[in-house]
Amino acid sequence: MSLMLMLGISLTVAAGVLLALSRDLFRLIVGLAVLGSATNLIVFMAARPGSLIPPLVEAGTQQLSTAAANPLPQALVLTAIVIGFALLCFALVLGAWLAGNSAGDADQLRDAEPAATDAVKPPVLEP
Amino acid sequence: MSHGSHTETHGPTYLWLAAVPLTLFLLLAWGLARYDLPWRGEVSWIPSLGVSLAFRIDGLSAQMLALITGIGTWIFVYASGYLAHEPRRGQLFAILILFMLAMIGAVTADNLVVLFLFWELTSITSFLLVGFNHEQASARAAARQALLITMGGGLALLGGLVLLGQMAGSWTLSGIVAAGPALVDDPRLPYALPLVLLGAFTKSAQFPFHFWLPNAMSAPTPVSAYLHSATMVKLGIYLMARLDPAFNDLLFWEVMLIGTGTVTAVWAAVLALRERDLKRILARSTVSALGTLTLLIGLPSPGAGLAVVAFLFAHALYKAPLFMVAGNIDHATGTRNIDHLMGLRRAMPLTAAAAVLAGLSMAGLPLSFGFVAKDAISIAKSEAEVLLLVSYATVFVNAIAVAVAGVAAIRVFWGPPESPRGQVHEVSWRMFVPPLAIVLLGIEFDFFPALADPLLLAAARTISPELGAVDLSAAYDLNVLLSATGMTAVVGLLFFLTWDRLHHALHRLHWLDRFGPAALYESLLNALTRIAAWQTRLLQHGRLSGYMRLTFLALLAMGAYIWLHTDSRVVLQWNWSTHAWAWIVACLLIVTGAGAALLLRDRLGVLMASGLVGYGSAVLFLFAGAPDLAFTQFAVETVLVVVAASVLPRYGRAVSRREPWRWVNGVLAVAAGAGTFLLLAHLQGLPVNTELADGFGRMSLPEAHGHNVVNVIIVDFRALDTLGEIVVVAFSLLAALPLLGGIRKGRTS
Amino acid sequence: MPRSALLTQAARPLYWLMLAAAVWILLRGHNAPGGGFIGGLVAVAGSSLLAITLGPAVARRLQPLAPLPLAMSGVGLALLAGLAGVATGMPFLTHVWTDMGLSTVMLFDVGVFLAVWGALTGYVFALLDNGRQTP
Repeated sequence: MSLMLMLGISLTVAAGVLLALSRDLFRLIVGLAVLGSATNLIVFMAARPGSLIPPLVEAGTQQLSTAAANPLPQALVLTAIVIGFALLCFALVLGAWLAGNSAGDADQLRDAEPAATDAVKPPVLEP
Repeated sequence: MSHGSHTETHGPTYLWLAAVPLTLFLLLAWGLARYDLPWRGEVSWIPSLGVSLAFRIDGLSAQMLALITGIGTWIFVYASGYLAHEPRRGQLFAILILFMLAMIGAVTADNLVVLFLFWELTSITSFLLVGFNHEQASARAAARQALLITMGGGLALLGGLVLLGQMAGSWTLSGIVAAGPALVDDPRLPYALPLVLLGAFTKSAQFPFHFWLPNAMSAPTPVSAYLHSATMVKLGIYLMARLDPAFNDLLFWEVMLIGTGTVTAVWAAVLALRERDLKRILARSTVSALGTLTLLIGLPSPGAGLAVVAFLFAHALYKAPLFMVAGNIDHATGTRNIDHLMGLRRAMPLTAAAAVLAGLSMAGLPLSFGFVAKDAISIAKSEAEVLLLVSYATVFVNAIAVAVAGVAAIRVFWGPPESPRGQVHEVSWRMFVPPLAIVLLGIEFDFFPALADPLLLAAARTISPELGAVDLSAAYDLNVLLSATGMTAVVGLLFFLTWDRLHHALHRLHWLDRFGPAALYESLLNALTRIAAWQTRLLQHGRLSGYMRLTFLALLAMGAYIWLHTDSRVVLQWNWSTHAWAWIVACLLIVTGAGAALLLRDRLGVLMASGLVGYGSAVLFLFAGAPDLAFTQFAVETVLVVVAASVLPRYGRAVSRREPWRWVNGVLAVAAGAGTFLLLAHLQGLPVNTELADGFGRMSLPEAHGHNVVNVIIVDFRALDTLGEIVVVAFSLLAALPLLGGIRKGRTS
Repeated sequence: MPRSALLTQAARPLYWLMLAAAVWILLRGHNAPGGGFIGGLVAVAGSSLLAITLGPAVARRLQPLAPLPLAMSGVGLALLAGLAGVATGMPFLTHVWTDMGLSTVMLFDVGVFLAVWGALTGYVFALLDNGRQTP
């Protein structure tokens, strides 16, 4: 793995975090998507890819050649891409639904949160 | 209860359910007659954790079983009458059955984990039963109190049992008892025993946890009679009795049990004088009796075991009927306040008879099983050379018991009848037969001790193995006993006659309540609510970006912690290979995309830029031997364009908002980037473990018949993960559909 | 949405072509790059193309089931494939092969394919529906 790629992924993570911390709901969601891609890359890179040969067992042999790429991170990342995409779709839809009430402001979401004026009710046991 | 209206609600009375405990009782009797104790059974459950469904029935278990099923039978009969007007009685019976099974499990379990599970199950069913009248706020609060205290004690018990199990190297109660003397020097014992005792004390309402039991009286009366006098509250006593042979020689054990037991017995007896509600008076005296039992277990003499089982038995045989009597009075008159109850003897002769017989036993007068029990107790105490203070305390406690018996059996039934408020009349047979049956059983045991003796002696030998052969009823020294009984009776009579005056004197001390354990419980619960409200407002403020900041901060903190605690070797290298040019292109695409997404204001632009990150990744995958990934990523990015383009208009125009936290955000982002770099550089220095990958590569074709190892991993080797993933994908749509409908409506309106 | 006549004419054949490609990718997946996830995504791309050019109603009609049932049937199929192993006395999700080369692995991958196809077209169709309602 080259230094350049490490730098690139790190910059992507930084950009993703900054986007995800935005007050704008849409940018926040895009930030999560960028972070997802970056995480996939980190997992992929963790296995130190270097081979160009896909992990396919060649015809006539019984097992994977040692020259082939590591199949394990590929399987992990493949499902992560699809599941990440499904959740991104959901987040986009949820965001669009929320945007109707908050004008897309991520800091105006109050659905389950108690208002500051809600009274605290202490439990009472009759004597 | 909806008394007054005598229209029985339609539907089954569930009288037939009494056949369940009855069958179990008969099975037990048949088994006891045929087979020698102990009986064992074991089914393997979680062998790796040493958990097996191990059950063991010895004398003590058999005695508890006899109480649970025998009294249970009559409780079910009684409940079918008492709840005739209750529309939700089906629920109550279901929980009662569940409770009975849990109780049977708890007293027969030998494995510690199984014991704990059943123990907690009894707490949960008790919670449901106390809170049965859930429309009343006080019933809910009482149910919560019972649950919090017994469950909190249950947690302590779990800790104690785990420690004991580790110390003894055996996960069974019998193993711990067998290992008993060897455990004394173990350094973990000072932690294990207090924890176990905490569990037992909370369950059996010992001081300072005594206050939950009277509050639990908001449960329907059959529940009070069954759970909160005869069975469940005896579970703590049962556990202490079971462990007693192992720890009886320990000074700590002796002091804790005798001390707590005495304090509980005396204090609860005093508090009984403060109550006006018949059920609460009985509940206080139950707590007092539980204290006496704890005290007896703590006594080191061999006779103590006999005293415990005899008193346990006697108490169940008179207290359950007394509760039923209280329930009958409540049912017939609509009140349980002893100030309004007088002269019920004429209206309710059979209930009155049951009350008098039970009262005799409670007072420990001759003709009753209570007399036998009291006899065993005085023998145990004379053997054990107890402190004089404890002796005086027991006399006082017994005297109060006499007074309580007087109140429950005489005061409310004799005297001139209170002006009738509505027609007071005897209750149905299903409500007066059970208390009569149980007290008559007790008297029968007095005349024919041979019926109960073998069982009681077997139970007593579980607690005091050194106990010789004793004839229970013939053992007592008549003179000593009669003088002791006589003294108790006289003092008790004095208390009975001055009950109202004592009550008023004690009532004036009610300001002391503010410093009691019940008040402490209240204020702790209040503090908990306040802390919860405070931290909820602090953390759940409704600002999504704030939540995100907190999340990233926590992640970074965890990462930093791990980083500081690892020997880090950062490796930085630039290895050029033939396909490096492709990686450079990919990397440029990714970084450009991320940067552009950050800088662009227009939403479509942001989206397209983020797509570049994906396309760049795809190029990278393509030149890293991962065509599957490249395909997937390309396809995803293509579909994303369609989805995003159609959802984009819903977000409205992009407004540039002030970011009040932008400096913090910037610092967090830089820290996240730097952390990622460190992580990746650290990974460089670690060896690659290809064991799994090699295994998959080796087995893919021969065992899974697939050339594409990635696909074989997904659909075969790790198919369960994949199944979970497609479930998430499919259910995300399910979750989104209502939202999609909402968006549509918002648009048209 | 302005439509090009060429695209409108080509949409249906293109859809079937892409679907055929998707199935081909799905079937070869066990031995060559491809598989249920990728095949499913290609099918989604095909359905999206059709939905954009001719409307989601047409695209829906040319699917075997409505999106949500399609996705759920995929999950069900995958579960069923797993249960086949249980039926032969092996742990859940142990795959079974027959002599003719058919296997529950293929069934499982078809389940993955359908789940992805159904779930993602569900989003696409619903969102395009919304877009169409705008005045």
